[in-house]
Amino acid sequence: MNAVRTVIKMHTSTLTWFFLPSALLIQFLSTLIVILMIRFFGGKTPIYPGGLVSICVLMFLLGIVSLNDTFSFALGWSCRRTDYVLGTTVMAVAVSAVAAVLWLLFSRLEIVTGGWGVELHYFHLPYLNDGSLIEQLCIYFVVIANMYFLGFVIGSIYRRFGRAGTLIFLLIVFLLMSIFSFVWTYLRWWGAFFHWFSQFTAFELALLLLPLTAFYLLVSYLLLRRAVA
Amino acid sequence: MSTIVEAECLTKRFGDLTAIDSISFSLEAGKIYGLLGRNGSGKTTLLRLLTAQLFATGGTLLVFGEQPYENRRVLSQICFMKENQTYPKRWRVGDVLAMAASFFPRWDADYASVLSKDFQLPLTRKVRTLSRGTLSAVGIVVGLASRAPLTIFDEPLGLDVVARSLFYERLLDDYVEHPRTILVSTHLIDEVSRLLEQVLVLDQGRLIIDEEAEALRSRAFTVTGSASQVATFTAGRTQIGGEQFGSLVSATLLGNVDAGERRQAAALGLELTPVSLQQLMIHLTSTASHRKARESV
Repeated sequence: MNAVRTVIKMHTSTLTWFFLPSALLIQFLSTLIVILMIRFFGGKTPIYPGGLVSICVLMFLLGIVSLNDTFSFALGWSCRRTDYVLGTTVMAVAVSAVAAVLWLLFSRLEIVTGGWGVELHYFHLPYLNDGSLIEQLCIYFVVIANMYFLGFVIGSIYRRFGRAGTLIFLLIVFLLMSIFSFVWTYLRWWGAFFHWFSQFTAFELALLLLPLTAFYLLVSYLLLRRAVA
Repeated sequence: MSTIVEAECLTKRFGDLTAIDSISFSLEAGKIYGLLGRNGSGKTTLLRLLTAQLFATGGTLLVFGEQPYENRRVLSQICFMKENQTYPKRWRVGDVLAMAASFFPRWDADYASVLSKDFQLPLTRKVRTLSRGTLSAVGIVVGLASRAPLTIFDEPLGLDVVARSLFYERLLDDYVEHPRTILVSTHLIDEVSRLLEQVLVLDQGRLIIDEEAEALRSRAFTVTGSASQVATFTAGRTQIGGEQFGSLVSATLLGNVDAGERRQAAALGLELTPVSLQQLMIHLTSTASHRKARESV
């Protein structure tokens, strides 16, 4: 248990994790200023700037960066690969939970203040924010954690197979997606697909993300077990 | 004395390159070892295998009686200060020392703070802005204060001469008080030779020497004197090196010196001195390389 705690301590001391909230806060405040200016010049439409995409992108990057920043170091200082993955997972889950609570708080605040007084819908979005508070919290948590572990698995591919391996992997993914999308279009399956998709609530979709997140974590672990430092 | 490392036919290949070529050796507890060899001889690869940072292609390796891979019992007893050890980007020197307390179970914080004063570590500076020398000093402070039963220093090279001598001094002092196994990998052979009890020499991935430092030194000696007298003395012996300073000539010869030879040297007005480990190494590694080159032709 001590070794896992050491990995968590290492992560907290790298400060990388605390850049996430500060970067988001800066982005939110600058958006707010821009909206205030728009309102000042008479713009009236409600605005959905998609600030949540930033959270997802930042978590994804954090997955890559935190691994790149600490894995080699930790192994160099006699850390087991398993302890590294366990400690990092605990850290990521804790950060995702805190981020989810903050997201919920800010989205409630957004509703109460009428979109920060200027009809800015930054945190609170229709559909995504349907359901009970607990359901919303779960949605935020799963989405954030899923993005982190997506970054983490890509970082793990890089650690295991190097630059060339990662490039080949990404090319294969790109190729498969192109073929998939072509076949899907050719067979005219998109309509049916979206219809199937739309029958789920955001909460149900978030639950569907859970096994995918677990899959990323498992693959990362298997890759890092064979990675060298 | 207990054995803490046992390698049997250990091999590591990177594609076509054989970095470690079927080597077998053992390390005993409570000794200072020197791992010597030229650049690219496989020293760092061997150390990365010992610490499970790399995977062997063949052979067996036991550290503290167990295989080291993913083994917390083994790894927690090792401190390996890699030459190119990386640290998280935003860390300051103080963070490195603070975290070392969590990573190394036998960490001595008081000793670390004494050492950081001795080596004048800038505790508030970011690690990534440090010069190579200061970075080496950070590694040395961590390595010494970790008091790990197996402490490995890989090429503590970037240090200036004052810091290096401070390192040797502190290492010996602390080793006497807290005996443990220390493995120093370097090519500054003559400087560390007085520390070493046992020497392992790698050449092109092969272990060509695994011998006590004293025994190794008695493998050869240097004779110095006037050219003609030296020539008389060296006749019929294997000479592995030599230098000339004006009328004075020194020759390095293989073999032991017995009492009769000492008398002969004294009669000829020659001075006999122990060979430097470095000279012996140059001779042994160059002949081993030549032999290997000949074999491959």
